[in-house]
Amino acid sequence: MNTSALAWVNGSDTPEKPSLDIGFMALTDCASVVVAATQGFAQQHGLTLNLKRQGSWAGLRDKLASGELDAAHCLYGLVYAVHLGIGGVPANDMAVLMGLNQNAQALNLSPALQRKGVTSPEALARLVHQHGARLTFAQTFPTGTHAMWLYYWLASQGIHPLHDVDSVVVPPAQMAAHIQAGRIDGFCVGEPWAAAAVAQGQGFTLATSQSIWPDHPEKVLACARTFVEQYPNSARALVKAVLAASRFIEQSQENRRSTAQLLGGRAYLDTPVENIEPRLLGAYQDGLGNQWQDTHPLHLFDQGRANLPYLSDGMWFMTQFRRWGLLRDDPEYLGVARQVQQLALYHDAAEALGVPCPAQPMRSSLLIDGSRWDGSDPHGYARSFRLHALGDATHTRVGL
Amino acid sequence: MLRILLIEDTQKKIGRLKAALSEAGFEVIEAPDLTIDLPACVETVRPDVVLIDTESPDRDVMEQVVMVSRDQPRPIVLFTDEHDPAVMRQAIQAGVSAYIVEGIHAARLQPILDVAMARFESDQALKAQLLARDQQMAERKRIEQAKGLLMKMKDCNEEQAYTLMRRQAMSRQQKLIQVAEQIIAMHEMLG
Repeated sequence: MNTSALAWVNGSDTPEKPSLDIGFMALTDCASVVVAATQGFAQQHGLTLNLKRQGSWAGLRDKLASGELDAAHCLYGLVYAVHLGIGGVPANDMAVLMGLNQNAQALNLSPALQRKGVTSPEALARLVHQHGARLTFAQTFPTGTHAMWLYYWLASQGIHPLHDVDSVVVPPAQMAAHIQAGRIDGFCVGEPWAAAAVAQGQGFTLATSQSIWPDHPEKVLACARTFVEQYPNSARALVKAVLAASRFIEQSQENRRSTAQLLGGRAYLDTPVENIEPRLLGAYQDGLGNQWQDTHPLHLFDQGRANLPYLSDGMWFMTQFRRWGLLRDDPEYLGVARQVQQLALYHDAAEALGVPCPAQPMRSSLLIDGSRWDGSDPHGYARSFRLHALGDATHTRVGL
Repeated sequence: MLRILLIEDTQKKIGRLKAALSEAGFEVIEAPDLTIDLPACVETVRPDVVLIDTESPDRDVMEQVVMVSRDQPRPIVLFTDEHDPAVMRQAIQAGVSAYIVEGIHAARLQPILDVAMARFESDQALKAQLLARDQQMAERKRIEQAKGLLMKMKDCNEEQAYTLMRRQAMSRQQKLIQVAEQIIAMHEMLG
């Protein structure tokens, strides 16, 4: 066989590689990727997306780096950790193609703490400080978003996440089982696994991630930078397909409901739709009898605001790595973010679809502790917190 | 250890090549019956490489080689008595990954087989990409056809038809193409 059949691709927009292997983890926020792959959005942009469900974030990371996966639904922080060489693998140039969602992660506590009346942030802080209880919290990956939300939230309540409590890594779908076995006292995880634990009577939701940072960055569509360089047309087509799918999902409540049903399927989240649908629609109940319609629910699209790969979003994760001693020195915050965030590619794709795309690559946010983040002074921001581990050696414990 | 399926054609030649391969440290398995049992044999033995003797590769043998390549993709290596560029070109076009000239030193077998396997893998990847493009085009046509039928049936516009099909697919945990096929099948049945 010769390569002449593919030569005609040169000089056109046609994807150089028409069939892509896309990794995802069983989480509600993989919705746009699954809908793009299965509901004809990929085909419309000349792609076949082969969905590959992954059992762990570390496995997904390794396959992205090796090229076994072309792209994946990925934790924001994880992409930067790989790019900067934090963790178990050598540094590998990475790329964020687009944001996949904002919000919709949660911090749950165990039924045992609930029975003790530890149902508020104040009660938790009292328990940790006055009674000297050594609590164990689980998150999903040492450099992932859940670790950062857990740390940020605990610190905002005056609890040092690395000194006052233990933190361990547990795969998302296993959180409820570990709570039930009494191995952990709380966890931070993506939906539907916090909602599922509440539904099973395995504790309650103490805080949502959107209460820490309303409309925070969360999952991204990530790939190794070699993929964007080798297959720029495939990368652009992929962003178009996923962006179109995210717009479709948020077009109506019926579309959101159908999406929840699709995600429940065995090939995807493999869990009853009742665990997925309410929080996907923003309808929360915390397991303590409180119910509310969240003002910052899961955003998969939000007129493109959830998808633009803001430089300030990428930089924030680096400031937190620095804050908690995962980075011993300050990186070139802006320079690294410019390398990783594929803004130009995203702009092309969004423009082609008629999705609004602000020219400003920074955004300004007010977080739970009253601090403002706008990307203008990452060096100062990383040092602005009362609780930190700037001088500590890298602190990570992997697994229980 | 590399597992090699040796397909017999001429007893005399096989004898020497087999010895050379074993000497070079390969696991050599002989296929007893070329024409009938070959696909089944490839299936059971799952060789890393198929080595086939084609002193004069007639159409039948070549056809069989291609058939094997299609159903049970394995790298295929030819060995031959004579170096004939025309025969080689024909063989490579038919999907053969490399060839070995009779009388070769055992030490030279490994690099040739390595190249054969590497070439085979890249050919497979390319084939998969081309196949994906074809399938994608075919699916796109079917989805378009179903969308057209639905637009007529429901008297709706293109976007509405897509949305209806997608909602149906998603709420049944299916792919869009499956719903498109159902619409086409239903239309054919009802005339």
